[in-house]
Order: sequence, then C-alpha cells, then structure tokens
Amino acid sequence: MSPDRLSGDVDAGPLLRLDRLTKRYPGVTALDDLTVEVPRGRIGLVGANGAGKTTTFRLLLGLAHPTEGSVEVCGIDVAADPIGVRTRLGYMPEHDCLPLDQTAADVVATFGELSGLPARAARQRASDILDLVGLDEARFRPIGGFSTGMRQRTKLAQALVGDPELVLLDEPTAGLDPLGREEMLALVARLGTFGISVLMATHLLDDVQQVCDHVLMIDGGRLVVFGATDSLLERTGRITIDVGVAGAQLVERLRAVPLAAALVEGLVEVDVDGDHHLDVVRDVIAELGLPLHRLTTRLTSLDEVFLDRASVRP
Amino acid sequence: MSLTGAVYDRGYRPYDGARGARGAATLALYKASMRRALGLRRSWRQKIAPFVLLGVVTIPAIVNVGIGYVTRDQLIDRIELITYRDYVGVSSALLLFVALVAPDVICPDRRQHVLPLMFARPLSGPDYVLAKVGAVATILFLFSFLPQVVLFLGNMLVSDGAFTYVREHLDIVWKVPVAVAILAVFYAVIGVALASLTDRRIVAGAAIIGLFLVTSIASGILTENASGGSYGALLNVLALPLYLRDVVFLGHVDPVEPLGGVAHGGLLAAAVYVAIVAAGAGVLLWRYRWVER
Repeated sequence: MSPDRLSGDVDAGPLLRLDRLTKRYPGVTALDDLTVEVPRGRIGLVGANGAGKTTTFRLLLGLAHPTEGSVEVCGIDVAADPIGVRTRLGYMPEHDCLPLDQTAADVVATFGELSGLPARAARQRASDILDLVGLDEARFRPIGGFSTGMRQRTKLAQALVGDPELVLLDEPTAGLDPLGREEMLALVARLGTFGISVLMATHLLDDVQQVCDHVLMIDGGRLVVFGATDSLLERTGRITIDVGVAGAQLVERLRAVPLAAALVEGLVEVDVDGDHHLDVVRDVIAELGLPLHRLTTRLTSLDEVFLDRASVRP
Repeated sequence: MSLTGAVYDRGYRPYDGARGARGAATLALYKASMRRALGLRRSWRQKIAPFVLLGVVTIPAIVNVGIGYVTRDQLIDRIELITYRDYVGVSSALLLFVALVAPDVICPDRRQHVLPLMFARPLSGPDYVLAKVGAVATILFLFSFLPQVVLFLGNMLVSDGAFTYVREHLDIVWKVPVAVAILAVFYAVIGVALASLTDRRIVAGAAIIGLFLVTSIASGILTENASGGSYGALLNVLALPLYLRDVVFLGHVDPVEPLGGVAHGGLLAAAVYVAIVAAGAGVLLWRYRWVER
C-alpha cells in the first residue's frame, strides 16, 4: 500500500458504486434496484435479518452475479474482474469459518499467502496482525481452544493480513460480551487510521453509531437511506428543554402555538423544523418567565431513523 | 536504579512488497494442503498415519535390498522378491493412504465453513480444485515413488557394478515415474471427487474404499470364468491404472491379467481411465461451481 492510500488520495472515485443492483433468487428478491455511491471510510451496512446484507457482500466479492445492474469496488467492475477485486478486499464472515485444529499463526499466515503475499512476508504479517488484534500471546495455540472473542479477533486478523483497501465485516460483534464488543469496535474504529475502509454489516445500530462515519440502510433488499451518520442524527429535529418544575406549563403553551411538545421524564421535548421554531420556543419561555436550565438538540438514535425511513419507503 | 522504558504500539504496517495473483494463491493452497495431509505444523498425532504408512510401503524395498546384500557373494541367481513393475501397484497401505489423505484435505474446508474465506481471495473454483487434486496427487506420487527410489538405489549399491546396473536399467528411470504418475493422478481425482460429496471424513474414506472394493469384486465375478480376457475387467476401478502401468512397462497389457486377452485392451483401459478422470474432474468443478454462480 502506498502512503497515498493513508491520505485518501489514491483514488478520487467512490469506494463502492452500486448501479440499479438487483439480485433475484427463485421466489425471492434479495436486492432490488439498489443505486448508491459510497465514499471511502467506515460504512455501516444496516438492515434486519434477511435485508440483503449477506447478498450484498457476495456481490461485492464477485461470488454471486447480479441479476441486473452493476457493482464497482474501488473503481473495478466486479463482473469484469472479480479476482482483481478480491485482491483488494478482506472478508470477515459472521459464522464460524476457521480451521479449529490449526494455530492462529498458521491460519492467518496461510490466508496471507492466499492473498498473494510471499510466504515469508505472510508469516511476518500474520505475527504483526495477530499482535495488533491482541492475540500475540495465543497465536501458537490451536483455534479450537479459543473463546468466541479470540475467534472473532482471529477472523479479523485473517481479513487484514493481505493489507486490503476495503474490509467487509459481517456482524463482527456477534456473540461477544460487552467488553469484547467494545474492544472489537475499538479495533474497527482504528482501521480508518490505517487507510483501510470498512463496510460493516450489522443489525446493531449502536455499533454503527459508535464507529461508522456513513450509514447505508437497506430493508427488504431496497435502499432505505444513505448518508453521513452525523447528518442522519441531526436531521431528527427534536429538542429537549429543562425548565425545572414548570415543564407541564410550557408543554401546554407550546401546543397552543401549535408545536408538537411532550413531557418526557420531567423534560420537555419539542419537534422543531428550522430556526424559526427555535425562536418561537425561546419567546414562549421568555413570555412565561421560566428558568431555562438546559436546551439541547436531541439526537434520535439510528434505530429511530431506520424505523422512520423504512416505514415511509414506498 | 531507575527503570526507564516505553511500551510501543507497533500499530499497523501496510504491505508494499510483491504480490501474486491467482497462480500464487493456487500455489499457496497447494502447499497448505500438502502440509495438512502430511501432518506438518499439526500435532504429532496427525503425523503418525502418513509416515507409518510410508514406512510400511517401503518395507518390501528394504527387504529386497537386504536379501540382495546378504546373498551378494553367493553363487546363486539373484533373488528378486519384487520387480519395479510389481512395485508400482496397489497395496492395502496405498488404499488406506488415499482414503485418509483425500478426505483430510477437502472435507474440513466444507465442514468448518472455511470455503467462504478461501474464495474471498484471488482464487476461483477451478483453482481450488487444481490445488487440492494436485496436492493429493503429489503426495500419492511421493508415496509410491520414494519406495521405488529406495529399491533402485539399494539394488544398484548391492549389484556387482553400480554403473552397469544403472546402464542396464535406464528404462526404469522414466517408466517408474510415468507409471506412478498415472496411478497417482487417477486415485487423487477419484479420492478428492468422492470426498467433495460429503463434509465428513469418515464417510468419505469409507466411500473411497467401498468404491474400490465393490468394483473390484464385481469385476472379479464378471471375469472369473471368462477365457481370453473380458471387458468386465474395465469395471475394476482399483486395477485400471495397473493395465496402463503394464502398457508403460511392457508395451501391452499383461496377458495373465483379466484384460490381457481383449483386443486393444490397452487403448480401452486408457479410454476408460480418461473418462473416469474427466468424470471426477467434472464432479469437482460442479461441487465448487457455486463460487461463480
């Protein structure tokens, strides 16, 4: 990898370009007319079970052919050069996929060689990457004796050993305890600083919110929404106001304006649409002479964004 | 004394060296499969079976050379317990070896769901098949060829003149590897193809031995009372490559064999050989076609 990749200058084009991507199996449409351009970075691929996440991964890897449309990864048309695409990708499946009777060092080194690295370089990188994911002490132990967390780390290590431009992570925190989950997410978050883009499929929106800078939501094979995580959260337009014990009075007055207001656990929540609504809220509070202890923009969770967008999708 | 030092986070070091493509990935899988089959980089238990069986098939060569050494100064005809042609043959050890190695290099990949990781690399279905069959064929070749080397070198050393022995047996230098290669490719394709149909090693091993035994028995029944040879001999999957071995060594099928009296027996055996290898390759490509679907 050149230093350019770390600075993001290696390719001005998008990381992924899906153009009317459709995949049908007998009796089911896994992906339906998906069109989106995804920039480099850490991307969350979000959807319920059966939403089309795994199918998307198979299409990106060139392991399945689209029924219609096309897909480009790092500027390469997957249909034209699936092998070329795979040299740039790392893949961490959701399910168990490791040979249990081999050591982590051996497995990761072998997958390094399978990624095209010379044997010596693969062994050296396997050692480095296992160190990076926190398995330096355990790398000469058979994987069969590993905990779930250690196996997940080994899976991540084999995905990284080939020095990919993009790594596909399928439910990387599945089966992990809270501490293991935090550690895995911290590792995923670090990948961006290494110049490696991440596409993380998950149904845990908290994970995405924690580490991803963009979110691609799909439901029933169709695009729900794509955008920067921050922008999606800001777009919710709900503010939280703390006026002490006079919350009920403020709610009543705001509803008379009318603004959608509610008292939630002693705090007033108001749906606002633009700065003029904020001006109205300010004026009402001043008019009532209430003490304003706190006024914050309430960011809805990605769960709410997903439910909201999925429900209005045609 | 003050302790000074620092803990370094080595972080991530990108790789900017040479990188191979499909050929390199196929070769890597080939080597990894070889290591696995021989138990290398695995526990000592995994090494027992292949090396014990290799020892077993080498015993006849050692015994033959030993007798030659003991009787080298006696005025008797040279005692040859085994000929090079006979030694390119089917032993119980070879059967066990095929039934052990072929499932071991292919079944765990499917059973432990390793295939998605393999095919996320620059590797296609045919590449995978080539690497696996190549690994098994190479091991079977070595398994059958190394004892021949022991036999040849031993005979040469205990002969009256080493150079004379080599000169008189120059044809062996090419006949043995060719015949062994015919045997190795055949059993490798059949073994790996059968093993690809299941993810359980024990089932695959039983299927391989079962195929060889059943076809051998069925062919034996068909050819039992036939005089002048019988086409039924071609059904014997176990013995089929031995007819081609005869063609390599003798130029024709040995007349004492069940196929010996059949016109163009060698050609027929070659045709059936090619058909079976092609069928086995077809099964393998079909089993790993999903990657391109």
